[in-house]
Amino acid sequence: MKAAIDPVTLATPFFIATVILEIVLARFGALKAHYETKDTAISLTMGLVSSVAGLLTAGASFAAAVWIYQHRIFTIPMTAVWAWVLVFLLEDLTYYWFHRLSHERRFWWAAHVNHHSSQHYNLSTALRQTWTGGVAGTWLLWLPLSLIGFPPAMVAIQKGVSLVYQYWIHTEAIRRLPRPIEAVFNTPSHHRVHHARNPRYLDRNYAGILIVWDRMFGTFQPELDEEACRYGLVHNLGTFNILRVAFHEWIGMAQDIVRQPRHVLGWLFGPPGWTPDGSRDTSARLKAEWAARQAAPEREAA
Amino acid sequence: MRGEGFFLTPPKARPRFRLVNAAALIQLAVSAAAVALMVALAAWATRGRGAPPLDQAAARALLADEFPGRRVERLWLAADGRGALAKAGEAALVLTRMGDGYAARHVPWDRAQAARVEDGRVFIPLSDVAAPRAVLALPDWPPKGLAT
Repeated sequence: MKAAIDPVTLATPFFIATVILEIVLARFGALKAHYETKDTAISLTMGLVSSVAGLLTAGASFAAAVWIYQHRIFTIPMTAVWAWVLVFLLEDLTYYWFHRLSHERRFWWAAHVNHHSSQHYNLSTALRQTWTGGVAGTWLLWLPLSLIGFPPAMVAIQKGVSLVYQYWIHTEAIRRLPRPIEAVFNTPSHHRVHHARNPRYLDRNYAGILIVWDRMFGTFQPELDEEACRYGLVHNLGTFNILRVAFHEWIGMAQDIVRQPRHVLGWLFGPPGWTPDGSRDTSARLKAEWAARQAAPEREAA
Repeated sequence: MRGEGFFLTPPKARPRFRLVNAAALIQLAVSAAAVALMVALAAWATRGRGAPPLDQAAARALLADEFPGRRVERLWLAADGRGALAKAGEAALVLTRMGDGYAARHVPWDRAQAARVEDGRVFIPLSDVAAPRAVLALPDWPPKGLAT
């Protein structure tokens, strides 16, 4: 079930046209973009199937929002400008925490990892969407908005607006925008950092539309000219099998739980890379090791 | 009701849900066709622009990025330049081509040394759902004269 106005559906022709434009212009050297055939096929197929997979849980999540809305605290009119400003801010804040949770806890990372599994960063990467987000239940995070009193359709529209906004920032074609924009909004530069696997850039810039949340909550990292982004996962995929791409983290997590069931909570809700014996890499460890390596030459020089 | 009766079908009689389903199916079919077009365009745009074969310097740079702090003792480049394998202590560091990039994993050296060889290709199990195995063109594998 969808809202009467679905910004993502409306924007789909724009998505297609701009991917085509980016590929063609990059081919003739008119802008910076790197495409690879199999990678593009995986990204776009992930996007196509995710739109179908999303329908399977959309009804339940929308019904839950409607039910919650029946027990709302306030009644917020969909026709008021202030209400749209407020839902814009609160939905974007919700997105920040959803996104942060999706990176910092393995259960939700299992659903979100797909979006980061490309070694490329172009408009097709934006469409590399999860098939299992609905099952992971992150939509629960948006229910408080309906409890406050925002009509579920209003929340759904704003979620769509946020998704459409985040599409165009998946590009290397735009280097930096004017400073006031970079200060307030999530931009291609900020989001390149988010998709980078360099230790310095890991787990940074979770923003949806407003980068101010990252600045407020201490997760902001600007893109540095001296450190080019290397895209993908800490351990990049070694297969183009789309089922492995879609489900590898879920399967890996299940294997870990079967192997050591008494650590089930750690396997499920620890950070990605968590193990009872610390034998794998977490973002925190990779960042700490990187910081130590950076400090070592300085100590030697001193 | 206005329009009901002679000229228009009453709203109750309209199979509305079928229309919605048909629209969704058409939308899906058009999207699938668009995906095929975009992939074909990507194939055309990147034709002849694949990654160059790995050489020693490129392989060492990649290994340094992927396994910082590990000292490479020996390095074997795949004959087709699509990967490399290095010995670093008790570990085998494996690089395997993925599109125009690489995936890297490390496995116990013994496992790499005992890997199946067929037609000059080594099949190294990586024990990872996201990277089940690496296939490297190393005709002279396993190396001789190396202590395990």
